[in-house]
Amino acid sequence: MESEAPTATELEAHPVVRAAFAAAWADSFPDDPALRHEEGGFVYYNPTNADVAVRRVLPGRKDELRLPAPPVLQNYYVVATFHTHPNPSSEGWIPDPSPEDREGAYETGVPWFVVTEFDVFVAGPERRVGGLNGPSGYPQ
Amino acid sequence: MVTVESVPAVSCDRALAVAHADAVTVYDQLQRYRIEVELEPDGWHIAYHIREKRVAGGGPHYVIDATTGAIVSKKYYQ
Repeated sequence: MESEAPTATELEAHPVVRAAFAAAWADSFPDDPALRHEEGGFVYYNPTNADVAVRRVLPGRKDELRLPAPPVLQNYYVVATFHTHPNPSSEGWIPDPSPEDREGAYETGVPWFVVTEFDVFVAGPERRVGGLNGPSGYPQ
Repeated sequence: MVTVESVPAVSCDRALAVAHADAVTVYDQLQRYRIEVELEPDGWHIAYHIREKRVAGGGPHYVIDATTGAIVSKKYYQ
């Protein structure tokens, strides 16, 4: 059984995570100013069989998404969060992780992926802090 | 030697009003934010930060010219 969580780079390349990013982006309605909003959720890892799973949270607002307490999945650890930034830079919006995103990532102890019109950004630690032990939700 | 700091032509309240007038056109429910204000050499720096923890998102950040009250720069974080 592995004791270290996968890195943000490894997670970003995983097909389950890539698919979740694409689905969240589409569900954010980035091309519709009236319906545009943030989507996202949690990325989980099972150290016994190396399985990766994703759970979405409720849709957010135009400029915000609540990521308070990840639901518990038996034998899985939360190893990252993800959310979209659907508002376009052509209207003055900053695609990069906000100061709050960066603070939240370090505070929760897992990488926070941000899916944007340009690329996927990551804020926070390179991997889940403290390894795959302790509480299965946020490590801190 | 005595250092005398000059009083900006544009007051803190006036700079806040300028920032707020722009912010309400882009963001809703501004009571979600804690506002941080600092006077720097290039003007008033006004940043709206989300009050609630573990929320992905952001607010607007402005630099307001302390002489004219014009918006020098603005960033809409999300």
